[in-house]
Amino acid sequence: MSETTAAVLDCHDVTVRFGDVVALSNVSVSFASGAIHAVVGQNGAGKTTFARVIAGLIDPDEGSVRISGRDMPKGSVNDARRAGVELVHQSFALPPSFTVAEAMQFGGSGGKLYTRSQLERRWQAHLDALNINVKAGQRIRDLPVESQQSVEIARALVTDAKLLILDEPTAVLSPEGAEKLFQRIRHLKSAGVTIILILHKIREVLAIADTVSVLRGGKLVEGPVACSGIDADKLSELIIGPSARPLDEDDRAALTGSASSLHTHVGVSGKDGAAPPILDMKSVSSAPDGDGPPLTDVSLAIRPGEIVGVAGVEGNGQRTLVRALSALADVESGTIALDGRQVTTLPLQGRRIAGLRVIPFERNVEGLSLTSSLWENWSARKLLQGSLLSWIRPSALRSECKSALDAWDVRYATVAQRAGSLSGGNAQKVILSREMDEDARLIIAAQPTRGLDIGATAFVWNALDQARRRNCGILLISSDLDEIMDICDRVVVMLSGRIAGTFEPPYDIARIGAAMTGVTHDR
Amino acid sequence: MTDSLVSIARALVFIVVALVLCAVIFSIAGFSAELMFSAIIDGAFLRNGALNHALRWGLPLFITAVGVAISFRAGYFNIGAQGQFYVGAICAAFVAEWTSGAPAFVVLPLCFLAGMIGGALWALWPGLLRLRSGADEVITTLMGNFLAGLLLIYVTSGPLKDQSGSGQQASSRPLEAAYRISNSLGVSPLIISIAIVVGLSMWLLVNRTSFGMMSGLAGRNPTMVTWQGAKLWKVGLASFLISGALAGLAGTIELMGPNGRLASGFLPAHGFTAILIALVANLSILGSAVAALFFGGLASAALYLPVIAGLPSSAIDIINAAIALFITARSQLIDRIMRFRSRANG
Amino acid sequence: MDDIIIAILRSGTPLVYVTLAGVIAQRAGIWHLGLEGLMIAGACATILGIVFTQSIVLALLIAVGVCMVASVLFWFVVEKLKANQIIAGLGLTGLGLGGTTLAIESIFGSQAAVSAPFGLPRIGPFFGSFGNLSILVLLMPFFVFAFWVLLRRTRFGLRLAAAGEHPYAARSVGIEPSRIRLAALVIGGALCALGGAELAAGSLQFFSQNMTAGRGFMAFAAVIFGAGHPVGAALAAMFFAIVGALGIRAQLVFGDRVPHDLLLGLPYIATVIGIWMSARLRGGAKAISGFGELRDN
Repeated sequence: MSETTAAVLDCHDVTVRFGDVVALSNVSVSFASGAIHAVVGQNGAGKTTFARVIAGLIDPDEGSVRISGRDMPKGSVNDARRAGVELVHQSFALPPSFTVAEAMQFGGSGGKLYTRSQLERRWQAHLDALNINVKAGQRIRDLPVESQQSVEIARALVTDAKLLILDEPTAVLSPEGAEKLFQRIRHLKSAGVTIILILHKIREVLAIADTVSVLRGGKLVEGPVACSGIDADKLSELIIGPSARPLDEDDRAALTGSASSLHTHVGVSGKDGAAPPILDMKSVSSAPDGDGPPLTDVSLAIRPGEIVGVAGVEGNGQRTLVRALSALADVESGTIALDGRQVTTLPLQGRRIAGLRVIPFERNVEGLSLTSSLWENWSARKLLQGSLLSWIRPSALRSECKSALDAWDVRYATVAQRAGSLSGGNAQKVILSREMDEDARLIIAAQPTRGLDIGATAFVWNALDQARRRNCGILLISSDLDEIMDICDRVVVMLSGRIAGTFEPPYDIARIGAAMTGVTHDR
Repeated sequence: MTDSLVSIARALVFIVVALVLCAVIFSIAGFSAELMFSAIIDGAFLRNGALNHALRWGLPLFITAVGVAISFRAGYFNIGAQGQFYVGAICAAFVAEWTSGAPAFVVLPLCFLAGMIGGALWALWPGLLRLRSGADEVITTLMGNFLAGLLLIYVTSGPLKDQSGSGQQASSRPLEAAYRISNSLGVSPLIISIAIVVGLSMWLLVNRTSFGMMSGLAGRNPTMVTWQGAKLWKVGLASFLISGALAGLAGTIELMGPNGRLASGFLPAHGFTAILIALVANLSILGSAVAALFFGGLASAALYLPVIAGLPSSAIDIINAAIALFITARSQLIDRIMRFRSRANG
Repeated sequence: MDDIIIAILRSGTPLVYVTLAGVIAQRAGIWHLGLEGLMIAGACATILGIVFTQSIVLALLIAVGVCMVASVLFWFVVEKLKANQIIAGLGLTGLGLGGTTLAIESIFGSQAAVSAPFGLPRIGPFFGSFGNLSILVLLMPFFVFAFWVLLRRTRFGLRLAAAGEHPYAARSVGIEPSRIRLAALVIGGALCALGGAELAAGSLQFFSQNMTAGRGFMAFAAVIFGAGHPVGAALAAMFFAIVGALGIRAQLVFGDRVPHDLLLGLPYIATVIGIWMSARLRGGAKAISGFGELRDN
C-alpha cells in the first residue's frame, strides 16, 4: 500500500450494520493529509456513522481503517486518539455540569491530581492560544451553543490532533458563526491539521473544502474529488440521486443548500390580509423556562393560510416560545389569542380543543412514546380532549388509527407495533397524522424535518403547504435557513428571547443572518 | 403479540437464572440445593391442599400487586405497599374495636372502607410530595414502610394491646368470630369474590378507559403526554391513591380473614412480594393473577419449610430477592431468538 | 454531653461509610438501592469472620471480599443485563437480608443474634471518654476527605462524573462508562463492608437479623440530600444520626409521655423531610430512574 502513504486516512471496504439496516456499505476512501475534506450527503446517508467509525466509536462489521498508514484495531477510541484523530460531535459531547477546564481535563493526559486554580490556569492558556473567548471556570451549561462548539474544538485540540473531524458543525450556527468557524478551520489547516467536515449544504462545501466526497444510502457515490472540478448542480444531483418524486427547483435548492434560494411561493390563494389572525400574541413575556432565555415582549400574529418561520441560533428562546404557546411555560405578561379567542390562561388541553396542534422539537421524546404502540400514540390527542374517565374501545381506535396512517402513507406492519420500530421519516408521519387533522387551526411545527432524508423532508413541506391551503396558520421553527426561506411567507428572527427582526420575501440572507447575531438590526 | 411472548419468555429465563443463583447460595450456606428445591416445590405446589394454601396467600398478594401494577404503569415507583398494607390493617382494626358489638353487616363494610382509606392516605403523602415537590417516591415510600412498621408495633403494644398475652409477639385483641371473613386457613367465598371484583374492575380501568391508556403512556413517556396536554398530576395522584387503597384492602382482608388480629411485624414480606408479582406479570392484571398463585405457593412454603422439612424459611426470601434482582433484566439474546422465531413463523 | 456525641458518632459513622458508597455509585450513574443489603452482608461477615478466624483483620477482609463480590453481581445485572437499577437494588438488598439470615440459621440454628468475643480496635484511653469508639470512627473524616479529593480533584473523579452524567461524552474520549461503574461499585462495596463492620463490631460486637433497619436506604437518601457531593452527603448522614440520637435522648427525658416506638421513627421522618427539602431546593429532581423496559430512553 505504498501509494497511500501520503494519506492520513484510509478506509477499506468499511461496512456497518445496525440490526437489519446497512448504515455504511463497502466504503473505501482515502484522504490526503493537510487538506480540508468535505463529506456530504442527505440525512441518513451514513455521514455520522462514517465519522464515528474513523473516531473508533463504532466498530465496523467489515473492512479496515488505517490512520497515517497504521492499521487501527476495530472500535478503539483510545487508539484512534493516540493516532491523532479527534471528533467534534454534532450535539456536543461535553457534560453540562462540568466547567470548561474540567471538560478539557477529563479526556486529556497529565495532571492526575489537581487544584481548581491550577486546572483553570492551565486550560485558560490553551483557550487563549486558540483565540477562544471563554473563561475556563464557566460551566458548560451556561455557555451559548457557539461557545460550546468552540470549547469542543478546543477539547479536541488538547492532544496533538492530526486529523480533526467535525460532524455537521454549521447546523447550530448563524451564517456569521459559520464564517468564523471556517476561518478557524482554515487556520488549523495552515497549522498542518487535516480536516474532515461532515456537511450537508453544498454552498458551504464549495466555500471551504478542498475536496468533496458524497455518501448516498450508505455508499460512497463520488470522491474525493477536488472542489474546483465540480459544480453545485452536479453535486446536488449526486446527493439526491434518482428520486421517486420529482422536486421543484426551489425545494431542490433548499434541500441541498446549493444556492441561497429566493422565496417564490408567495401568493397562495385565500391569503387575505384583512382576515382576523389565527394566532395573536401581544407583548408576551415569560418566566425563565429551563433551557433557554425567557421571552421578552414577543408580539406575533399569524393569519389564516400563512406560514411564519422562526429563525435564530438555537437556544435563543425558540423553545420557550413553543412552550409558552403550548401553555407549558408560564406567561408573566401579555396575551395570547387563538382564532379570535383569548387563551392566555387556558391549559394546553383547552388550547388543543380550540385548534392548537404541536409538532414538538424532539420527535422521539416529546412527540412519540417509542415503547408504546402506534395506535396508542396516535389516539393520545383525541382521548386527552375528553374526560379521563370515559370508556374507550381499543378496536375502534385501532381501526381509526389504521385508516389515518394509511391516508398519510406511513409504512408500518400493524398498528400494534412499537413506535420505536419506525424509521425517522415514518415516525414523523405518524405525528403529522395526529397533529394535522381537519380541526387543526394553528399548527406549530418545531424542527419538523430535522434528521429526515430528502424524500421525507419534501413530504413534510408538502403537508405544511396543504395545511396552509386549508387556511390553517402555521408557525415553523427551524434552524435551517434554507428551509425557512423556501417555504415561509414571513420570517421572524429570535435573539435572546426577543423578536429581533421581521422579514418579508424576497429574503436577504445577509440581513437575516445579521439579525440572528444581533449585529446591525436595531430593536 | 410477539412482544408479550418475548416478555413471558424473558421472565421465565430470568427466573431460572435467579433459581440457579439461589442454588449457589444454598450450597454455600451448606444446604443441598436439590433437597431445598424439592422441599420448596413440595411445600408450594404438591402437598395436600397446596392450592388452598396458595390461594390463602395469593389472593391478598394479588390485590396488593394489582395496586402496585397500577402505580408502576403510571411511572411511579410506589415501593410502599408494605406500609400501606399495615396502615390499612391498623385502621380497620381500630374501626372493628370501636364498632365492636354492632352487627357484622355494619362492621364489615366500615372496616373495609377504613382499611382502604387508611392505605390510600399512607400513599397520599408520598404522592403529594412527589407530584408537588418532586421528592423521590422510592425513598419516601420506603421510609413510609419503616414508619408503618413502628406504628404497628406501637398500636399492638399500646392502644390495641392484647392484655391476655396469648400471643408471643405484641398483638391486638382477637376479632370477634362474627367479624371474621374466613377461618385461619384463609380462603372463603367472600375473599375470592373480592379478589375477582378487584381484578375485573381494575382490568376494565386499565384496558377500557382513557385513564388506563393515558397512565400507561405517561408511565412510559411522561414528556410525550405532557405535550399532548395531559395533566400528569391527576393521573399520578389517582395511581398513588388506588395502589394505596388496594394495599389497604389486602391488609384488611389479612386482618379480618386468616389472621384475626394484628400482630407486630406480621407478613413482613407482603409488599415486596406484591411488587415482584406485578413485575413478573409485566404489570398486566391477568398476569398478576397467575403470578400471585405462584408466589402465594412460595409464601405458603415458607411456613412449610421449617415445620415439615426442617429447613430455614429464609430460603423463600432469598428466592424472591434473587428473582427481583433479575426480573427487569433484558437480555438481547432472548429478544433476538424470539424475533428470529417470529420471522420464521410468519 | 459527651455521651450524646458518642451516641451520634456511633450511629453516624456506619451511615457515613455507606453514604460514601452511595455517592461514588451515584456519580458514576447508578442509583444504588442495594446499599442496605451490602451493609448487612458486611456486618454479618465481620462478626462471623471474628468468630471463626479470631482475627479482626481477616474478618474485615472477608467482609470486604463478600461485599465486593456482591457488588460485581449487581454491576453485572444492572450494566450487562440492563436491569432496572431500583428493582435490582431492592433485590440485592433482599439477598443481603435473606442471605445473612440463612447464614446465621445454617450455622447457629434458629438463633436470632450472634455475638463476637471482640470487635474493632478502639481508639484508646488517650481520647478520654471517647476512647471506646472504634478506629473506624477516627478514620471517618479522613475517608470523607479522601473521597472529596478523589471525586472532585482527580481525573478519575472527572471520568466517573462524565460516565454518570454524559456516558456518550465519556465514550468519545475513550473511557468505557461500564468499566468505570464497575470500579465505582466495587469501591462502594468495600465501603459498605466497612460501614457494616462498624455497625456490628464498632460498639455492639454482635450481629442480629435485619439489624441495619433501613440505614442503607437512609444513606441513599443522604446521597440525594447531599446532592452527590461527598462532604454534603456525609453531613446529611450525620444529620440523620443526630436526629436519631436526639430521639433516643428524648425517650429518657419524656419517659412515658411520648410512645417510644414513635420516637424511633424520627430518623425516618428526618429522611423524608431531607428528601423533600432537597427536591424543593433543587426545583424537583427528575425521577431517579426510568423504568427500563417500560419507559422510553
